[in-house]
Amino acid sequence: MSKKVSFSGFSDMPPVTVSQGSMSFNATGNWRYLRPVYSEKLAPCRNLCPAGTDVPKVLALIAEEKFEEAYHLIWKTNPLPAICGRVCYHPCESSCTRSGIDAGVSVQALERFVSEMCLDLQPDLPSVKNSGKTVAVVGSGPAGLSCAAFLARDGVNVTVFEAEERPGGMLRIGIPSYRLPRNILDRELEKIARLGVAFECSCKVGKDLTFASLRRNYDAVFVATGAHSSRIPPPLRDSRDLVMTGLDFLKATNLSTPPEIGKLVVVVGGGNTAMDAARTAVRLGAQPVVVYRRSREEMPAGDEEVREAEEEGVDFIFLASPTAVQRNSRGLEIEFQEMVLGPPDGSGRRRPIPVSGSSFTRQADTVILAIGEDADLSLLSTYEADPGVFVGGDAQTGSSTVPDAVAAGRQAALAILRYVGVPASESATLSKPANHFSLDALNPDYFAVFPRVEPRHLDVETRLSGFPEIIQTISSLEAVQEAQRCIPCGVCNQCDNCWLYCPEGAISRVNGAYSIDLNYCKGCGICVQECPRGVISLVQEES
Amino acid sequence: MIVTTEETREVITGNHAVSHGARLARAQVISAYPITPQTQVVELLSSFCEDGSLDAKFIQVESEHSAMAALVGASSVGARCFTATSAHGLALMHEMLHWAAGARLPIVMANINRAMGAPWSVWTDQNDSLSQRDTGWMQIYCESNQEVLDTVIQAYKTAERVALPAMLVLDAFVLSHTAEPVEIPSQEAVDDFLPPYEPDLRLSTEDPHSFSGLATPDTYMEFRYGIQKSMERALEEFQRVDDEFYEAFGRRYGLIEQYRTDGAELLLVTSSTITSTARVVIDELRDSGRHVGLLKIRLFRPFPGELLRSLVANAKKLAVIDRNIGFGVGGIFAQEIRAALYNHIQIPVFGFVAGLGGRDVRPSLIREVIEYAETHEEPEDLIWKGVKL
Repeated sequence: MSKKVSFSGFSDMPPVTVSQGSMSFNATGNWRYLRPVYSEKLAPCRNLCPAGTDVPKVLALIAEEKFEEAYHLIWKTNPLPAICGRVCYHPCESSCTRSGIDAGVSVQALERFVSEMCLDLQPDLPSVKNSGKTVAVVGSGPAGLSCAAFLARDGVNVTVFEAEERPGGMLRIGIPSYRLPRNILDRELEKIARLGVAFECSCKVGKDLTFASLRRNYDAVFVATGAHSSRIPPPLRDSRDLVMTGLDFLKATNLSTPPEIGKLVVVVGGGNTAMDAARTAVRLGAQPVVVYRRSREEMPAGDEEVREAEEEGVDFIFLASPTAVQRNSRGLEIEFQEMVLGPPDGSGRRRPIPVSGSSFTRQADTVILAIGEDADLSLLSTYEADPGVFVGGDAQTGSSTVPDAVAAGRQAALAILRYVGVPASESATLSKPANHFSLDALNPDYFAVFPRVEPRHLDVETRLSGFPEIIQTISSLEAVQEAQRCIPCGVCNQCDNCWLYCPEGAISRVNGAYSIDLNYCKGCGICVQECPRGVISLVQEES
Repeated sequence: MIVTTEETREVITGNHAVSHGARLARAQVISAYPITPQTQVVELLSSFCEDGSLDAKFIQVESEHSAMAALVGASSVGARCFTATSAHGLALMHEMLHWAAGARLPIVMANINRAMGAPWSVWTDQNDSLSQRDTGWMQIYCESNQEVLDTVIQAYKTAERVALPAMLVLDAFVLSHTAEPVEIPSQEAVDDFLPPYEPDLRLSTEDPHSFSGLATPDTYMEFRYGIQKSMERALEEFQRVDDEFYEAFGRRYGLIEQYRTDGAELLLVTSSTITSTARVVIDELRDSGRHVGLLKIRLFRPFPGELLRSLVANAKKLAVIDRNIGFGVGGIFAQEIRAALYNHIQIPVFGFVAGLGGRDVRPSLIREVIEYAETHEEPEDLIWKGVKL
């Protein structure tokens, strides 16, 4: 405590009033009824990433030019970053907090940049000894590959069975090379093979090999056969031989020789397969028109896909559904019925309702149906109760996305490891913060408007000269700049604001983190307010 | 732009002369709010901070009150602090001006003299700074851009020796926005002249003390006495610093400058840039044999009364031109001068008020002032010059 001091007059007084003893006795912390705590929040990008990528940390590493570390961190939950960096629907970007300031961070372009920088780099994995366990993976699409990679990481002997000549599943069959160049696909596959994963191609389980023998010879089986069974609208089922499915068309073009499709091509459907089919048709010299039964707003295809299709000259007819197709002297005549939108259906989109007596016809050389694909799990009919058989990806969910398949593969791998009794090496650091970042916690004063780096797109003429990749990889300079735009939401980046603003000087920096001296923290909350990114929260003191 | 640390001669505005002065003094914390006609001072300082020419923390604030409050904090921990403002900005700082002086913090500020509203004005007169004369700040009125730059450096040295804040004052536009050749000293020379600020007491988390807390009637008056004693000491220190500056840089300005005063019966008294115009008139009248001279009052607080008395001892009359008005009395410099003389010397003091709100004070007006004082025997407290009636 301070002691009483008496002055005789001016000559023995200090120039200003100043406590003669130290003020450290004044433990202002005992005023406190709210306590600031550092608690990282789950950023929306990380929350919504199907593959579970720790986006803020990856971006922080890129911002510091630690590209290899960023790659290894991505790989911890996603063994196909060069592919997802191209074909993901990037909910990280649409949910990005920066979209409220200027524009969301180009996360996909950054993932692509990093994985391309590290195309020759094997993932940094813990060394584990071979477990002696064996797992068969049926299907080499993104779910199968992801499962195989994470099993191999933990010392499981994996064999992947693929019906086609080369592995990749829907990545190779369905996705045109202007979106996913085949050398990139091959490089990612090589990396997975280098982990010790064996591939048995041209081996269709159920035909070349029975499922029963597979089940007998392996400790567990993962079925990731995808969704390859194309739907046919009921009125056209009788004319099946007059039409082509989108998947068959893409498969033929992507795997062997493009079929003869003529000039006038009608593509029915509004999803990504329809877009891929129409845009592939353009590149083969056709003039496709996409016919979709709802309006543009309800299209399940990605917005960019639709926009690029329009740029490339694909025509659209909305609110029409095919009712018949027949051959005539000039080729095929397809008849449509006009639709109107009714109330929303189970998918939340407005249901199309036929307008009676409103049909029209359209002449076509080729009719391509791309209204969706279903899984065919007849293979499994007798194994439903077998705990050693696992299903994931499109085979389980129906037609979905690549990152969702990657996530399913990883989940399956963790389940299988548990089943076969091999400990998973997946580190605890992957656990996500429990609390979600809230926009209210953002202090927008700290974030200046800074334009987003947009990856360059090839001009339409060059695009249509063949199947060159449309989107270009950003430069390392752009990548660093773009990564620096990340806030990061709810993640401490040691900006020192709390330390600087604490009016009590109660915050100190200890080994790259902060520590609050609760003897002096009076719970004023200034650190919470001045934390630009909502890392610090106030909690009520218990008594 | 990374500025050279070598001595150079450049044509710069008064505002930029202020910025270079603060840079050479190695101000460590700058906090300011922009206001016409001061803006370029902090504009250049912020770019010095940005490009590394000056290693200082630049604090953006939402008002002049906050600017000075921030500097009170920064100066308390021992940082050399700088700000600049003008007119309404200075008025808004008023409370903090008292605090800075009372807390004995040697903050240096440039105030660009601008007339106070209403009515709205941006042009020069001295009412803004003179309204702050009793806050405990030293005040130095400058005549040229060179003097401006040199005064920033001198102000720090004096302020830190006596533990009181200092305000240098320059006329809006006449100096602030007018470019003149200015010798910019080398960093090395200024470093030799002005040592780093080392206060005896400082706010620190290592050894926490409370500062400027409650002073009861039992002690308050002694702290005020201390400020007055330091002001008195500042008169000597300022003279000493001016002499040291002359040794180092070959330029000096004095507390009050005498210009052609030998044998002068009438002494014209001016401050700031009116002085430059007056020099021309004095030259002309002197050369035609008239017994007139000029005194330029540079230091207003502390007021160099004793020096003034010695300089006017042989004159018969004083004519003071005030670019300000103490409403209900008259020109403020004239009041100060009369107050300094009254108990000691009986000499008529004519008080002229001119040039308010930036109205030009031309040689013809100065000639009229001199003529008036020469031809009238009875002094008058307030004579308006140039007002349209």
